[in-house]
Amino acid sequence: MTAFSDLFGRRSPVPLPGAPGMVTSHAIAAVGQRWQCQRCNQWIAATDRLPNGDWYCRTCLQLGRLTSRDRLYTIPEPNRFARLVAGGLTWHGQLSPLQMQAAQAVRKHALGGQRQLLWAVTGAGKTEIVYPALADALARGWRVAWVSPRIDVCLELAPRLQRDFGGVEQCVLYGGQPVPYHYCQLTICTTHQLLRFDQAFDWIIVDEVDAFPLATSPMLQVAIDRAQKAQGSCLYLTATPGERLQREIKQRKLAVTYLPLRYHGYLLPRLQLKISWRWRQQLRRGRLPAGLQRQLRLWWTTRRPFLVFVPHVADLPVVMAVLMQAGLSGGTTVHAADPDRQAKVQAFREGHYHFLLTTTILERGVTFPKVAVAILGADDPVFSTAALVQIAGRVGRLASDPGGQVLACCHSNARHVQRARAMITRLNRQGRRQGGRPC
Amino acid sequence: MLTCVWCGRAFAPAITVTMIWQWRPLPQPALCKTCRDRLTPISPQHCPQCGRQQTTVEVCRDCRRWQDSLYNRAVYRYDAGMKAYMQQYKFQGDYRLRLGLQAALRTALDRMDYDILVPIPIDERTWQTRGFNQVTGWLTGQHFQQALAVTATHKDRPQSAKTRQERLLTPQPFELVTGASDLLVNQRVLLLDDVYTTGRTLRHAAQQIYLGGAKAVTSLTLAR
Repeated sequence: MTAFSDLFGRRSPVPLPGAPGMVTSHAIAAVGQRWQCQRCNQWIAATDRLPNGDWYCRTCLQLGRLTSRDRLYTIPEPNRFARLVAGGLTWHGQLSPLQMQAAQAVRKHALGGQRQLLWAVTGAGKTEIVYPALADALARGWRVAWVSPRIDVCLELAPRLQRDFGGVEQCVLYGGQPVPYHYCQLTICTTHQLLRFDQAFDWIIVDEVDAFPLATSPMLQVAIDRAQKAQGSCLYLTATPGERLQREIKQRKLAVTYLPLRYHGYLLPRLQLKISWRWRQQLRRGRLPAGLQRQLRLWWTTRRPFLVFVPHVADLPVVMAVLMQAGLSGGTTVHAADPDRQAKVQAFREGHYHFLLTTTILERGVTFPKVAVAILGADDPVFSTAALVQIAGRVGRLASDPGGQVLACCHSNARHVQRARAMITRLNRQGRRQGGRPC
Repeated sequence: MLTCVWCGRAFAPAITVTMIWQWRPLPQPALCKTCRDRLTPISPQHCPQCGRQQTTVEVCRDCRRWQDSLYNRAVYRYDAGMKAYMQQYKFQGDYRLRLGLQAALRTALDRMDYDILVPIPIDERTWQTRGFNQVTGWLTGQHFQQALAVTATHKDRPQSAKTRQERLLTPQPFELVTGASDLLVNQRVLLLDDVYTTGRTLRHAAQQIYLGGAKAVTSLTLAR
């Protein structure tokens, strides 16, 4: 591969002199009276002007500053890949009949170039369901991106794909990645990294499409649209699609595949509600709700690992202190800005910690064996309906241990808690029709 | 509700009875409380020469080694929070972040005693790539004189990437602009810079200002 391959389907402010077919454009273009960044498609605020007269884009500053003096260079994607045997698939697992059905549907829509959604409950084995379609796409020489708004999801996914698609060259991109970018057929990256691509991918798989920050960021939604080719398509994966996607399903703008049952055939664990009136005031006096403390102690003495979710980062040290005082040792806290975040999560997975105290960052995309979950303050607005369903979905993901408890302590029976419980009930009802067993 | 220029979150500034009692327009802070708390202001217990935060008010070890009578004051400590700010403002080039510390710098400048304010200049290449002088960005209408210019051609490595020993060996990078002497003669000059690390840059600048005939040179930096 030539050195110019770094520009294939990618927008870069650094030109490669002499590259054949290199196209260039202004990084920040005047549109009417206003200025627009050509990388992130956002408008430049009238105040964001440098003293030397240039405009600069603040929105995508983290990817390196673009000013109106810069230009972006790209080479249209040529799909220059080696031919693959069986799409590079080296996975030898078996899909269950229900999963197989879903996989066939996903494949059909993908080859038809349709935008589609795979709506499968937490722990349904979404990743594996996509494998047949992905192998097919790669065998056809498509360039594919598997993206997620969550860095944890990318980091957990990358080794799996590395193992299961051993025949395909892959690269993993995220802010602060240790390995530089190189041109390859399968790219695993965060949605922010898609801003660097320009009509590069034939197929984009968006994992956890309803997660923060993608759900609330028009910039990232545009990034997904612009990173795929004109005739390309995308596949959204989630267990809890948001309002917008559900509306598009109703309007038939989006093909959808349902899978209401987990891969091991057991139903989802229910959300146990525990009204803990004025728990925050109690916490301030150094006490946890009595029922919660009793339950945590029970898990702790029976050596069942557990996750405790709290609404805010500021609550972490407070709750930790209370737990330490109650004699529950051997746990740690994890939050988004924690420098040891990856290491702690990995250590918990390997059983070095008894419990993990965390915020919504671990709500999705992570699997811990045999875990139980408690949510303190589930009625806090940071726990959306989707977040609660996802958190409940951390439990019972192994076929050997499909049960487990989810305890939600709240001050009041808030509407989004009710909605989350109703959603689990509804999914379980559909699952039972497909032959699901209660655990 | 205001938007914090650093973290981008909306926040409601705290309003006290005193603010209402003063019957003036309410202050419009640019940083939210969380971001403000990332920066640590330097307390009155600092080195009387370089302004470094310490537990005593004696001349610090670095200043004893210099054996001169520099007078520098700093607003914030150069800790992890300040480094993060500088990283985004200066190295990533987020010019809007200047708004975050303008108010603090204005208060600090009001406390200093001087006739002429001279900000440390940046070289031509930096001006081309960064597009702004990080020091003058913090000024809000205060009158200043660009009495210094950078002579040295663009440094292959920025000062911040060198070791202490290498920094101390840096040759004089500044010169006086033409006609600067007329301005500086018998004036009390205040130099303004972003970070005081070894004091090499400020001493080089002070040397040149004294050559211009200034009566006294003091300095103020945002961080130490």
